[in-house]
Amino acid sequence: MADVVLKLENFSVSYKTQKGSLEAVRNVSFELKEGETLAIVGESGCGKSSLARGILRLFPRNLEKTSGKIYLDGEDILSLKEDNFRKNILWSKISMVFQGAMNSLNPVLKVVYQVAEPLIVHMGMDKDSAFKRAKEMLSLVGISESFAERYPFELSGGMKQRVVIAMALVTHPKVVILDEPTSALDVITQANILNLLKVLKKELNLTYIFITHDIATTSELADKVAVMYAGEIVELSPAENFYNSPAHGYTMMLLNSVPTLKTTKKLKSIPGSPPSLISPPKGCRFHPRCQYVMDICREKEPPMFKKGEEHFAKCYIGESHE
Amino acid sequence: MNNNEILLKVENLKVWFEIRKTIISQPLYVKAVDGVNFELKKGETISLVGESGSGKTTLGRTILRLYEPTDGKILFEDKDITNLPFKELNWYRKETGFVQQDPFGALAPHFSVYRILEEPLIINKIGTPESRKEMIIKALEEVKLTPVSDFINKYPHMLSGGQMQRVVIARALIMKPKLIVADEPVSMLDASVRIEILDLLRDIQMNHNMSLIYITHDLATVRAFSDWIFIMYAGNLVERAKTDELLSNPLHPYTKALLSAIPDPDPSNRFKLREVPPGEPPNLINPPEGCRFHPRCSFAMEICKKEEPKEINIAKDHWVKCWLYKEG
Ligand SMILES: Nc1ncnc2c1ncn2[C@@H]1O[C@H](COP(=O)(O)OP(=O)(O)OP(=O)(O)O)[C@@H](O)[C@H]1O
Ligand SMILES: Nc1ncnc2c1ncn2[C@@H]1O[C@H](COP(=O)(O)OP(=O)(O)OP(=O)(O)O)[C@@H](O)[C@H]1O
Ligand code: SF4
Ligand code: SF4
Ligand SMILES: [Mg+2]
Ligand SMILES: [Mg+2]
Repeated sequence: MADVVLKLENFSVSYKTQKGSLEAVRNVSFELKEGETLAIVGESGCGKSSLARGILRLFPRNLEKTSGKIYLDGEDILSLKEDNFRKNILWSKISMVFQGAMNSLNPVLKVVYQVAEPLIVHMGMDKDSAFKRAKEMLSLVGISESFAERYPFELSGGMKQRVVIAMALVTHPKVVILDEPTSALDVITQANILNLLKVLKKELNLTYIFITHDIATTSELADKVAVMYAGEIVELSPAENFYNSPAHGYTMMLLNSVPTLKTTKKLKSIPGSPPSLISPPKGCRFHPRCQYVMDICREKEPPMFKKGEEHFAKCYIGESHE
Repeated sequence: MNNNEILLKVENLKVWFEIRKTIISQPLYVKAVDGVNFELKKGETISLVGESGSGKTTLGRTILRLYEPTDGKILFEDKDITNLPFKELNWYRKETGFVQQDPFGALAPHFSVYRILEEPLIINKIGTPESRKEMIIKALEEVKLTPVSDFINKYPHMLSGGQMQRVVIARALIMKPKLIVADEPVSMLDASVRIEILDLLRDIQMNHNMSLIYITHDLATVRAFSDWIFIMYAGNLVERAKTDELLSNPLHPYTKALLSAIPDPDPSNRFKLREVPPGEPPNLINPPEGCRFHPRCSFAMEICKKEEPKEINIAKDHWVKCWLYKEG
């Protein structure tokens, strides 16, 4: 059995705002084994990017505090000193493809320079070796030598996304966080990129955290799915259970809102709007919008119930409670 | 209101970007839009779908005259706006709205959400400070940025990707323009909010008889949402038809490949690779001769490699640009 690479225990992140403290990530816990892919799905603004950036300590200026534990290969990395973290963990062990990154490639810099940059800037590699490694990585993601010398505007959207993926992989990290890596691409290009990510995962034994709001693409990569709602992981399960036997009210309603082209089922959007993270609802945070709501949901925050093998959900459905 | 009135007419539109590798080298041209024709009626919605990099954004921006056309014509309510100089376009800016593709770059970083939404109203001398405030609150409620007080004083970097997208939508809608180009307006939103925002756009559009060009990769939402689907590949519209017609009777090989690539959620997908047409999308500086899709097309014939197919009207409200089909 593969080893646990990354483990989060009650990880929380909060920001300072004019109206008070905003808890964007609250008590998040999960474990990831080497080579495994965890998809994080959830509504816009529920804290997915904050969680991802939090793992990498890429905080905005108005960070209030973080708490909890993050272990990488058993080492507690949240307590590492900043310079130690930057030198030994960030990019070299855990890297990230940022949401919208392909549109923020530097327009006046050849792509091979941009891919080499993390090696030179973060890892202190000399230029020649960095370019060599960058070219190898570009060819691994399917960008030939001649395209390496081009500028971003000369590349198609799919190629730009490949470049961004190469940037995240060039440092040979163990864990790669992908924040919406395909949501800007047409379905054919998207399928191409997902194929690439599948192949790379196998070849390099990568562990992915894959953030997406797209339920269909989730199934292309995920071994496990974490559903976030209002800053919390409300359900964590093997991918099969996520699709076939969801256990949280939000997950059930989310799956009912997914359009597919092949069916003409009437889509049910989830009524109401996402809760304020500054003053979240009492009890289950989803209760004001949940079609299965019970009295207890309004009063008492549900604990993480075990719903099956490696399947957990913070929801009273199917639980006996006094 | 006359619903058959044509709002926008685009004829043989070309937009080429000039690039020079060095100051002295010969200019090269990226043929991002290369001969596009269509009409858009008042109150109608077009979904513009296609390959990444095929020129959708360029077409949208040029229609709004944010870019200069290289050739062809753009008529808005019969007025030729193709070559109006930028400073004579102020009236046109009021009649049109734009939802930019990339929300991360679309919002001024040092403006609060309030200020971002008030700006167009001030520029166009609309309302008093009090009535503007009401309009802004209403707009934020419409795009579901609620409780409004959590968002109204935030700066863009304090918003999530999907929240920024909604501010951009609110800004485009606040002026109630006649034409909106919405470039991937909901790409960062989850299915549930996505449907709500699209429904909202649809409502506002119908109430105000607005026309909409909806650029998207999300084929699954277009069925419920648009009157027309246009398919773009390498600078050309390769097929355009009424929504139901296109989805039930797709003709162009690229359209067919695109439709069959739509993923269905199934957890066993992760154990296999997806089938996709071979090869990369073409380079728009030197696009392939003949039909631009021929190097990737499994139906390609001799003629496809040499001669560019013409766009033909194959059925009522259905055009296709492919040698497999004949007029009538
Ligand atoms: N610097 C900040 N200051 C205050 N609030 C912030 C800041 N950054 C994010 N937020 C808020 O924290 C919440 C979580 O944001 P985050 O970007 O993590 O969401 P997300 O799940 O990635 O959403 P999306 O799918 O739209 O990208 C949001 O409600 C957002 O408004
Ligand atoms: N200012 C520019 N200068 C040179 N080339 C450009 C410029 N803007 C766009 N291009 C090129 O024109 C082509 C069309 O780009 P456009 O952004 O219109 O595509 P798109 O269909 O919107 O793609 P996507 O789905 O990725 O958003 C691309 O090859 C792009 O690299
Ligand atoms: S705990 Fe109650 S309100 Fe929350 S999701 Fe479950 S049933 Fe719905
Ligand atoms: S014109 Fe020829 S190459 Fe082009 S899509 Fe039709 S059959 Fe394929
Ligand atoms: Mg995000
Ligand atoms: Mg675009």
